[in-house]
Amino acid sequence: MITANDFISDNLTMTGPDQGSSSPRRRILRAPFTRRTWDELAYSAASLLLALGALIFIVPTLVNGLLWALSAPGVRKLGAASRFLVRELLDEDVPAPPQLRSIVSYKVRTQDAARLAGSVAAAGGKIRVWETKPGVTVRKLPLDRITELAAEAGITIDEVQPQSAALNWLAGRILDPTTWRTRAYFVLKTPIAGLSLALAGGLWLGGLYLLTFPAWWELGRGGPAGVNLTGAFLLVPIGAAMLLAAPWLMRGTTEADRWLVRTLLGPSSPAERIRALEESRARAVDDSAARLRGIERDLHDGTQAQLVALAMKLGLAREKLHGTGPVDLVRITQLVDDAHRRAIETIAEVRTLARGIHPSVLDNGLADALTTLAARSAVPVELVTDIPERPSAAIETIAYFSASELLANVAKHSGARHATLEAVHVPGLLRIRLTDDGRGGAYPVPDGGLRGLAERVRTVDGHVTIDSPAGGPTAVTVELPSHA
Amino acid sequence: MRIVIAEDAAVIRAGLAEILADRGHEVAAAVGDAEALKAAVAEHRPDVAIVDVRMPPDHTDEGLRAAIAIRRDHPGTGILVFSQYVETRYAADLLRMCSGGVGYLLKDRVANVGEFIDAITRVAAGGTAFDPEVVSGMLNATRHASVLAALTGRERDVLALMAEGRSNSAIADQLVVSERAVEKHISNIFSKLGLPPSDSDHRRVLAVLAYLGS
Repeated sequence: MITANDFISDNLTMTGPDQGSSSPRRRILRAPFTRRTWDELAYSAASLLLALGALIFIVPTLVNGLLWALSAPGVRKLGAASRFLVRELLDEDVPAPPQLRSIVSYKVRTQDAARLAGSVAAAGGKIRVWETKPGVTVRKLPLDRITELAAEAGITIDEVQPQSAALNWLAGRILDPTTWRTRAYFVLKTPIAGLSLALAGGLWLGGLYLLTFPAWWELGRGGPAGVNLTGAFLLVPIGAAMLLAAPWLMRGTTEADRWLVRTLLGPSSPAERIRALEESRARAVDDSAARLRGIERDLHDGTQAQLVALAMKLGLAREKLHGTGPVDLVRITQLVDDAHRRAIETIAEVRTLARGIHPSVLDNGLADALTTLAARSAVPVELVTDIPERPSAAIETIAYFSASELLANVAKHSGARHATLEAVHVPGLLRIRLTDDGRGGAYPVPDGGLRGLAERVRTVDGHVTIDSPAGGPTAVTVELPSHA
Repeated sequence: MRIVIAEDAAVIRAGLAEILADRGHEVAAAVGDAEALKAAVAEHRPDVAIVDVRMPPDHTDEGLRAAIAIRRDHPGTGILVFSQYVETRYAADLLRMCSGGVGYLLKDRVANVGEFIDAITRVAAGGTAFDPEVVSGMLNATRHASVLAALTGRERDVLALMAEGRSNSAIADQLVVSERAVEKHISNIFSKLGLPPSDSDHRRVLAVLAYLGS
């Protein structure tokens, strides 16, 4: 018994067009029996089924904007499934595009709408000028950049407010380029895959039929009209040729499909990616500068002040001891007591500060650190962790601070009686999710903890989702890439 | 003495008040920001205002600017700037504004209660009190490095102590030389720096520091 695998050499997982160093004739002869051919056949069949299913899902949701928004995560999952098939069967690892996120836009009321629109557009922002009153809606630019541009151009801004969270959410899902590219992929892919599978299947089945035609002729006693025995044997090489050609036809169509997947299901153009990276790098630099300023402030206002006060107490006590008059032991004892208390407070402060710089509990991994964190929480926390592999240190740190910030928020604002903290690490993605049974209505305010958290998460291309209807429950999800 | 304290860290504010009260001085007001400081000075007319450089709202140089404003509005008020950092530019700014009755101390100095009280007393009396670290910072940062290079080691020691606001006899004690020798060094320094001779202690300090900080 000869299996397909016996025919192929060590280049089992080659993905390029070159199949190794064997001669072209041998490659043509071997092609129908290589693992690659079978994988491509399996891919064609599976991806056609997926594409058909995807179209059944996509087409009805094209009706209106709300359905575009609601179907966006589903469409993206279908795209992810396609990438999975390509990775498993065609050995081509197409990187995932950026995650779905809300588009934050700002409503800017100003008399100078047209001029502001000009400078914002020049800075790469997207603009919609209002028709009924003077003002613009700006997206793709952060708030401070907008105000900076206005100041540079000498434009007075009467009022700025962020677009409502619901609209941001909708805009993010409706305008998400990845989702649209995925839809385009399935629309293009289905006919190609159908045609390819039909042609390849036809060549294979037809080739097998012709190859074995004499047997059919014998069985059929005379066979189809007009073919004699000689004719039947003449058909055999044609059948063989068809069998040999089928894999190459399929290879051609899977190559086309590969290209489609790379182009439409991968991250968008390098230029866009570079811009996104530049933005996140700028944010990371700003973020670390702000963090250093914060640490300096904490040291200056906290630790250093405490130590100065401590030194004052001790200085005064020493003066009293060395003084000329009678030694006032009661007063000295009081001063030393004060100094002692201050020293202990300072130690606690330094510990908190050090933990804020790098939590040493993280040395044993995120799961341990979160256990400690959950145990310290004022609100009872149920902890669920599934972290089979450690993410990179920077990601662990951000995940830890995120969890810490979220737990602090729950304790401070939610009025919750119970919370659940989940940390799940699947390849490429670390997800931290905190749910509580509190009063809900959580939203990021400027300079607030949630906003700071979102900013920090964005520095590594991560994403924060807040689901907190008034009345609760609240669920905040932080998604981080495994490696920064 | 009647003293107003402006310092945003409550622990230090309380500590200063305690030390000054312990030495029998009157702490008329202890405030946490520059605006309150100006109001307190206008109200209480203290002999000395102890002013932290970094205060709310921006935590940059609010205290210093308030100090300069106080000096303009109430010229008789001694100003003791009190900082956790050596900022030679601030010291130079202060010196340009004030002719005496001024000081710049690092907060660490307060641990030595005796010296701290001495410094305040000097400032209240119209003298100067500059932190040795501030002085050496100014000596290092000066653009007149070539002129400083012309000074002998001993002359530089004298210059540093003089810049802190010490009197001739204090310098003589510190360096274990005669007061006569100190006077000779000082006249050498003045001639090497090209400064006009001056008798009053704080005048000559200011001349030297203004020269170095310019």
